[in-house]
Amino acid sequence: MTDAILDAHGRGRFEDRAAAELAKPRLARAIGRAVDTVQERRDGAFEGYDLAAMRLAGEAIRAHTVARLDEYLGRFAERAEARGTNVFFAETAAEAAEYVLEVLGRRSVRLVAKGKSMISEEIGLNRTLEAAGIDVVETDLGEYIVQLAHETPSHIIMPAMHKSRADVAETLRSVAGGILPDDPPILTALARRVLREKFLAAGAGITGANFGVADSGMVVLVTNEGNGRMCSTLPAVHVALMGMERLVPSTRELSILLPLLTGSATGQRVSTYLSFLGGPRRPGELDGPEEVHVVVVDNGRSTLLPTEFRSVLHCIRCGACQNVCPVFRQVGGHAYGGTYGGPIGAVLTPLLAGFERSGDLPHASSLCAACTDVCPVRIPLHDHLLALRREVARQRAPRSERVAFRVWAAAWKTPRRFLWFARAVRLLQGPLALGRPRLRRAPFPLSRWTRGRDLPAMARRTFRERWGGSGGVARPERYGGGKGERANPPAPDGNR
Amino acid sequence: MERERFLARVREGVSGVEAPPLPRELPPTPASDDGRPLRLRFVEELRAVGGVVELVSPDDIAGAVAAVAEGAKARAAVVGPDLGPFVKQVAEGLRRADVEVLEPNNPEGWLSTSARADLGVTGAVLGVASSGSILTTAGSGSSRLASLLPPIHLVVLPADRLVPGFEELFALLPGHLDGASSGVLVTGPSRTADIEMVLVRGVHGPGEVHVLLIEDPRRTRRRKARSAERAGPPDDSSLRT
Repeated sequence: MTDAILDAHGRGRFEDRAAAELAKPRLARAIGRAVDTVQERRDGAFEGYDLAAMRLAGEAIRAHTVARLDEYLGRFAERAEARGTNVFFAETAAEAAEYVLEVLGRRSVRLVAKGKSMISEEIGLNRTLEAAGIDVVETDLGEYIVQLAHETPSHIIMPAMHKSRADVAETLRSVAGGILPDDPPILTALARRVLREKFLAAGAGITGANFGVADSGMVVLVTNEGNGRMCSTLPAVHVALMGMERLVPSTRELSILLPLLTGSATGQRVSTYLSFLGGPRRPGELDGPEEVHVVVVDNGRSTLLPTEFRSVLHCIRCGACQNVCPVFRQVGGHAYGGTYGGPIGAVLTPLLAGFERSGDLPHASSLCAACTDVCPVRIPLHDHLLALRREVARQRAPRSERVAFRVWAAAWKTPRRFLWFARAVRLLQGPLALGRPRLRRAPFPLSRWTRGRDLPAMARRTFRERWGGSGGVARPERYGGGKGERANPPAPDGNR
Repeated sequence: MERERFLARVREGVSGVEAPPLPRELPPTPASDDGRPLRLRFVEELRAVGGVVELVSPDDIAGAVAAVAEGAKARAAVVGPDLGPFVKQVAEGLRRADVEVLEPNNPEGWLSTSARADLGVTGAVLGVASSGSILTTAGSGSSRLASLLPPIHLVVLPADRLVPGFEELFALLPGHLDGASSGVLVTGPSRTADIEMVLVRGVHGPGEVHVLLIEDPRRTRRRKARSAERAGPPDDSSLRT
């Protein structure tokens, strides 16, 4: 389908990329600090709200909208055009990028000021524009830092969360032309000065779209820095890229979805700026863009509509699932090798880019379901991860693995077989475990399993042996509740 | 052409998918009425996000504008054309503070003119007490740049335009946005936390948002009468900065 979603990091396997990220000193600490901060603020942001009721309403709104997406997309386009906005529907990433190129070409734009947009990352827009000789400057502070460092965003909301202030000072040195103190206010002031020039000189501004409002034809931008306002106000041309699922029926539903978004994303009750963009400036207006375009992007999304994965399209890109994910916390967004990291990336990337290159992502999860619990619109992310694993196994598991699991299943089928299996493993592990509680490396073919995991060693006595006392085969009915047994089980002999 | 194909593909994708109804009643947003007077809530909430706000009597607008301009050492200002009845007093305040008002018909163009200003003065359509937000809309007779480019944004907002919370805001929004080419809800100064989650104010938008909350003239008259009776301080003095 599309390769653009798999960026330069997208080569190879998750476990290799993860190993590379884990080897970076201080990375996990930087990520931990960032996600913990947002988590703490999140609680305050939802104080006074009935969060459970909000999430239910959010889920219903998103499910309703996506189930009638054709209708709402049609209405959005009609109303936006009535406001003088040009609406283009792009089936593929390439179509979207080419349309943008065409718009810029008509006005001979050489410099583009760009606001934060994950979909532009997804369709590889910067590469297309730069190949055509157009300068693209990211203007969100985090995105600007990441662009100067020739990297990609590591988090949906906090693109430069993986960098320390010293890293940022080093990155901005090329712009400052000298050594900078690693002081966030000073670094921010420098970026403000440099980017202000770009805003004033840019021929076009390109942003994403947090929501499109079907009944008003307006695009909603949620920002804190003000760069989204700059990009959509100063240059003569404004282009907003929008994933096709990002609609709401009317402004009314935003009263639920906006607080859910900002509370989950940054722990704010409301972002500093909520922009409602309704087309080009009108006669008699002093300022605002002369030409406005909304590019509605499919890029594989419509293939999910008839499937069990439709609810992935309910996502409002808040990043909350990334913040709570124990895997993301250790390895960060780059290890996922695509535009979107964390649980939503582990689900979305294989669905949009195919299992061939990202079929291992659904395994980058402990299935703890923290993502599902935190999702403001209740997407069952861990169910999707499981379903994807099943699908990947069905399509791609090697024969040897299938046979191994069949043997495993046969060995666990009856209590007696299970016991013999356990005894056999205990005997065989002896020389490997050497009394250690866990096996870090096992011989082939198990080595493939232990490459990314530790295998806990079998206990000297199994639970059933301890429960039954004598080490003989425990009869199933003993578990079923013979009176005396229950009342007085043997004491466990402590953790090993 | 591409549109029909696109929409047909989506229609086919969702055919047979049952759409759950939109919730008829939306869950309430936090206590639209939490007992505090609206003006007090607005002041407290805006201060909590780093804004500056003071309650001003309609007679003192020029003085308050001059004080803000002097405090900021402003030299040039852009004034949004949406100040309505306050336009004269704002101009008077800026004159007192010796601030040049940049005109839209300036030959170098409105954009570069606005970019030179160190103070932007605008009105606001409404204010939200529960979040300390103000809504400005673009239409003929307003400027999007005046609230965006200068490092300080000074808002003149009549106190009777305060609404309690988001419920009321979102009920009123469609009416305000229908005739406008754009609108923005501004809650405090521009901010970022992109470097190590350290909060920094004033990234691209104004680093300072200053709201003059203009008291209802009738209320002022009543208060004046009362304080004349008691010869005590005005009862809103605690709200002044």
